[in-house]
Amino acid sequence: MVATLIRVTGDWDVAEDAASGAFERALTTWARDGVPRTPGAWLTTTARNLALDRLRRHGVETGKLRDWSMMEDARGHAGDDPAELTVADPEWDDRLRLVFTCAHPALPLESRVALTLRTVGGLTTPEVARAFLVSEPTMAQRIVRAKAKIAHAGIPYRVPPPEALPERLDAVLAVLYLIYNEGYAASSGEALQRLDLAAEAIRLTRLLVGLLPDDEARALLALMLLQHARSTARTDAAGDLVPLEEQDRTRWNGPEIAEGLAVLAGATGLAGTAPGRRGPYRVQAEIQAVHALAPTAADTDWRAILARYDELPATPVVELNRAVAVGMADGPGAGLALLDALATSGELDGHHLLPAARADLSRRDGRVGDAVRFYREAIGLAPTGPERRYLERRLASLAGAAESTP
Amino acid sequence: MEYVLLYTEGTDPQPYDPAEDHIGEWVADTIERGISEWGERLRPGQDATTVKVRDGKVLATEGPYTEAREWVGGFDVINAADLDEAIEVAAKHPAAIFGTAEVRPFVVWPDAAPGYTVVPEGFHLREAKGQRYVLFVCVDPDGEKDGEGDVEAWVEEMDGRGVRLFGDVLRPPADATLVRNRGGKVLVTDGPFSEAKEWIAGFDLLEVSGLDEAIEVAAKHPMARGGQLVLTPVWPFDPMGDQVARAEGEASDRDRRTEPAVGGTR
Repeated sequence: MVATLIRVTGDWDVAEDAASGAFERALTTWARDGVPRTPGAWLTTTARNLALDRLRRHGVETGKLRDWSMMEDARGHAGDDPAELTVADPEWDDRLRLVFTCAHPALPLESRVALTLRTVGGLTTPEVARAFLVSEPTMAQRIVRAKAKIAHAGIPYRVPPPEALPERLDAVLAVLYLIYNEGYAASSGEALQRLDLAAEAIRLTRLLVGLLPDDEARALLALMLLQHARSTARTDAAGDLVPLEEQDRTRWNGPEIAEGLAVLAGATGLAGTAPGRRGPYRVQAEIQAVHALAPTAADTDWRAILARYDELPATPVVELNRAVAVGMADGPGAGLALLDALATSGELDGHHLLPAARADLSRRDGRVGDAVRFYREAIGLAPTGPERRYLERRLASLAGAAESTP
Repeated sequence: MEYVLLYTEGTDPQPYDPAEDHIGEWVADTIERGISEWGERLRPGQDATTVKVRDGKVLATEGPYTEAREWVGGFDVINAADLDEAIEVAAKHPAAIFGTAEVRPFVVWPDAAPGYTVVPEGFHLREAKGQRYVLFVCVDPDGEKDGEGDVEAWVEEMDGRGVRLFGDVLRPPADATLVRNRGGKVLVTDGPFSEAKEWIAGFDLLEVSGLDEAIEVAAKHPMARGGQLVLTPVWPFDPMGDQVARAEGEASDRDRRTEPAVGGTR
């Protein structure tokens, strides 16, 4: 509803105020007269009337407002009684517009994320603030500034034209994946996972796929579902990290895996991806599918995973994961050699995942002294409590062995 | 909406190749579409002159507040439907291919005359009568706190003298958008081109007898006390001409100051 109001009023604040005003009125009116036949349409029309009133009071007679009044007149329901309204509203178009506006690359990335959660996702400002561990005033200010930039810089409220769509869709997917990742592996704090954010990202991506069935959008949804299916098995009763290898696979969410695999299968060969180009989300989703299809950790087809990593652009984090896959496919020594090179490059300095991976492959290779040293380094860098405790447990299980090593 | 495109080197400049500088096509396209209002190429940063008034004294120094090579190398005032069209136009400009274009909206005044545009209609028919400088009006947190003054009066005086051709105030850096074009891929990011504490708040195009008069005009601007003013001479060229020949001809004075020397208090 807010999406529709933003389109017709061109004013985000008026739209949001009108929407909450409509809900307040509904509480009293519906309690008195009963719920109307079409509650959604009632709310939309009430909110439109409130918005129109407010704009008129402010003496705004913008072209937008005139267009709106004319449009309403033409439809023959400019009347003030929302109970008369039965028409289906153009919610679909408006939500898609909103998705693209909120993820516009001219906005700072943190504002895109906040605005998407607040406006498309419908979270309250305090909820968004809590999810990103910033104070409410800080988050409120971030959202206000983003809305101001939309107005002052002339960021359009529309779905980009075809020639700009691929790049702009990439920006939307990046925002959704960022929200998901913050939920999947929190960058700070005591909880490893923030399931509310991950679930919210899945909901929004599902919405996007429903609006625009692009191949990479579907692949991103599959990627999220396949990862999210493991979320309950990813932590133990104490909330500590359980690595993939040790997870109880019966606790994986079967329906989510099935849906993820189905979405992934459906994504193949659809429009939106040039022939021969497999997007990064598709490749990553396929890696998750390999894990999802392995009955036990030992059955994992690491060769298939390695082949997928070879397709991804070689960022430092991809190199790290690829080295781990090499270690699992060809033996820890081969993986460690790659990790040593990565460490020398200095590109992942300060990131706990690099020493953690070196510790793990050293342990598998029987190099206990190296493993102890790398675990200690990783513990010092781990961003969340659960990850730190997991590494400490690993270290403790090695400690006895390390003392007996000359 | 009216925007200015400010062209700078940016953080990842590409080697300039005049053979790939298709500025003529850009100018023809934006004029045909009715988007382009006016643009100027500017002399390199070493030819800029910064003017401040502190304790009542006029201080003129060579160069801008940024590194000279990081200074604005040109601008275009455009009238686009929205930010997306401004981005599309900016991305095709050679400056976005070799450097970065910053898209900044102008402040929209509620009391502006109907049909007002930053560049007056028919401006392109006006013949140059003197030396043209762009006067960048910059915010400087270290300026004099009581430096606020009547900009309107300054505008009125300079318009009356015929030394100010046009100019207006820009939305702050938070509303800026950076556009680069790398191999046909359009990269859009938020934020102004410079992280400096000073920032460009607006500009005026001046037409004066020389640098001395430009400094005199700048020093009278209220922001000379509250902020600082960076005078940058225009560097005319023929966008429809041969850019390779132009670049060769300009090679000798590209890196030296061609403006009169300034320095210290006047």
